[in-house]
Amino acid sequence: MPDIFDAYFAQQVINGISLGLVYALVAIGFTLIFGILNVVNFAHGEIYTVGAFAGLLLIVGAAPPLLAVVLLVMAVGAAAGVGLERLAFRPIRRFSDEASLKSRAMREATLLSSLAVSIVAREVMAHVFGGEMRIIPQAALLQDVITLGPLTLTNGNLIIFGASVVMLGGLQFMLYRTRVGLSIRAVSNNVLGARHVGIDTNRTIVATFAIGSSLGAAAGILVGLYDGNIYPYMGFAPGIKAFVAMVMGGLSSIPGAVICALLLGVSESVATDFLSSGWKDLIAYGLLVVTLIFFPQGLFGHGRERV
Amino acid sequence: MVVNVSNLSPRLRQLGLVAVLFGAIPAGLALMGGGYPFQVGITALIFVTLAVSLNLVTGTAGLLSLGHAGFFGVGAYAAALAATKLHWPFLLTLPLAGIVAAALGVIVALPTMRLISIYFAVATLGVGEMIHVSLLNWVSFTRGPMGIRSIPPIEILGLDLSGVIGGYYVAATVAALAIFAVHRLTHSYYGNALRSLREDDQCSAAMGLNPVRLKIEAFAVSCAIAGMAGAVYAHTASFISPDSFRFEESILILAMIVVGGLGSLPGAVIGAVLLIVLPEVLRGIGDFRMIAVGVFMFLSILFLPKGLLGEASAIGLARRQLGAAWRGDIGAGWK
Repeated sequence: MPDIFDAYFAQQVINGISLGLVYALVAIGFTLIFGILNVVNFAHGEIYTVGAFAGLLLIVGAAPPLLAVVLLVMAVGAAAGVGLERLAFRPIRRFSDEASLKSRAMREATLLSSLAVSIVAREVMAHVFGGEMRIIPQAALLQDVITLGPLTLTNGNLIIFGASVVMLGGLQFMLYRTRVGLSIRAVSNNVLGARHVGIDTNRTIVATFAIGSSLGAAAGILVGLYDGNIYPYMGFAPGIKAFVAMVMGGLSSIPGAVICALLLGVSESVATDFLSSGWKDLIAYGLLVVTLIFFPQGLFGHGRERV
Repeated sequence: MVVNVSNLSPRLRQLGLVAVLFGAIPAGLALMGGGYPFQVGITALIFVTLAVSLNLVTGTAGLLSLGHAGFFGVGAYAAALAATKLHWPFLLTLPLAGIVAAALGVIVALPTMRLISIYFAVATLGVGEMIHVSLLNWVSFTRGPMGIRSIPPIEILGLDLSGVIGGYYVAATVAALAIFAVHRLTHSYYGNALRSLREDDQCSAAMGLNPVRLKIEAFAVSCAIAGMAGAVYAHTASFISPDSFRFEESILILAMIVVGGLGSLPGAVIGAVLLIVLPEVLRGIGDFRMIAVGVFMFLSILFLPKGLLGEASAIGLARRQLGAAWRGDIGAGWK
C-alpha cells in the first residue's frame, strides 16, 4: 500500500520539521554563546527546563493566552541567562590579552563551571518540583488535532513552526540591523578589536546570553505543551542534540546550525519508519561522528585558526 | 617520637601508601560497620581507577574526552557477558575487558585523532553516547535496559573473594596497579612527550615525535584501564545496566580530575575519592547532597583553578619521591 506509506512518510517529515525547529532554537543559543566566548555552555539545557517550568507555573497560576506565556517565558529565560553569565562565566573570564583568550585552561574551567551550575540548577528544580512528570492543564496543551487530507497535524506543529520562523527571522533582523547585533557580531569576530573600537564587551556578552537563553526557554515551554510533559531532566536530550547540530553546522554559523538541526530532526523522525525508536538517537551521534571525520570544520564552518 | 615522612626513603613511603590502602583503610571501614562502608570504598576505588585513566589522556596528553564512561561500560559488559555466558573466571574476564575496551578505543581513535581541541571532545561525546544507545537497544546481546543479572562474584584460583571485603581488596589491587602503570608512564620521557603534545602538537611533530601514534597509544592505554575498572565493577556489583554508563558518568569522571588538578596523578586520586565519598558523608542532608556536590565543584573551580593538587606540585612530589632516578643533571625521568 504505497499510498498509506507516503502519507505516513509525509507525516513523519512534518513531525521531524517541528522537532528540528525546536533543536534549532536551542542550538542558536549554543551557537551565539560559542561564537562570542569560544566555550560550550553546558547549562543551556537547564535554561530550556527553566523555561518549561516558568511557563507551567504561569499557566497553572494565571492561565494567560499562549502568546503572553511565550513572551513571559522568554523574559524569564533572558533573566536566567544573565544570571548564569554572572555566576558561571564572568568570574572566570579574562579578556585582557591574546594569551588569556587562547588559554586552554581558562576554557576548560569555564566549561566545567557552567557544568557545575547546571548540576545545581537541575537538582534544585528536581527538589522544588519533584522528580516525576507534572500534569499540564488539558486546555493549555497544544494537541488539538487538525486533519489535512491523509495527514494528521496538531496545532502544536503549526505553532512551533510559526513561532520558530518568527523567532529565527527576528534574530536575523536583530543581528544584522541593530546596534546590539552589530556589537555581538563584532565581539564574536574579534574581542580585542571590538574593545579597541569602544564596544563594551561585558554588556555585549550579557546581551548574547539574554538572547540565546530566551530562545532556549521559549523552545522549552513550546515542547512541554506539545509533548504534554515537563520534568526536571527534560533539558538533557535536546541540549545534546542542539550541541550536535551546532558542531555539524560549523560551531559559529547560525544558518548552518539551523539547517543541521532540521536535518537531525527530520532524519530522526523518518528513521522511526525502519528502526525501532530506541535506536533513533544513534542517528544523531552517527551523523555527528561522520561529519567530524569527513568535514572536520562542520558542514558550514570556515577554517578556524589553530590554537 | 614524630616520624618525618619526607625523611623516609622513597621505597618505604611507597610501602606506607600500600599499607594504608590495604591495611588502614579496610580496618577503618570495618570499624565503621562493615557492609555499606565497604561498598562505598569499592565504588571509590573503581572511580579512582577511572579518574587515573582519564587523567592520562585528558590531563597529560591534553585530549578532552567526554565519553570515558562508554569505555567503562564496554569493559563491564565484556566481562559480564564472558562470565555469565561463557563462565570465564575473573582472571580471564579482567584482561578481556581491558583488551576489548582498548580495541574499541583504537578503532575510535584512528579516524578521530586528526581532530583537535573541541572537535575531538565532541567526537568522544558522540562515541560515548553511541555506546550507551547500543547497550540499551541491542537487546538480543546485552539484554537492553533489563541489564545483566547475577554476574558471578570474584574467585581467584579457588580463593573466594565474593564478599565486600574480598571485593575491596580486588578493587584496591586493580586501582594500585593502574596508578602504578600511569605513574610510570607519565613520569618518564614518554610522559614528557605526551605533555609536549598537549602544549603544542605541531611543535612536537617538528621535534621528531609522531603525535598521532602517541595519542592513539595514550588513548588505548586509557581505555584499557577504564575497561578493567568496568570488569571490577561488573563482578563486585553483580548487576549492570546501561544506566551506569551515561554521559553523566563521563562528566563525573572529568569533574574528578578537574577538582583534583588536571595532569596531576595524586590530584586524580583525591578528586575521585572526594566526589564519591562526599555525597555519602552528606547523606544526612538527604536530597540536597547532589546540590552540595555541584556547589563544591563550582567553588573549587572558582577558588582553586589549578585543582586541589596542581600538576606542577604533583610533578615536584614525584620528582622527590623518585629520588635517585630523577637526580641526574637532566632531571627528565625514566628512559
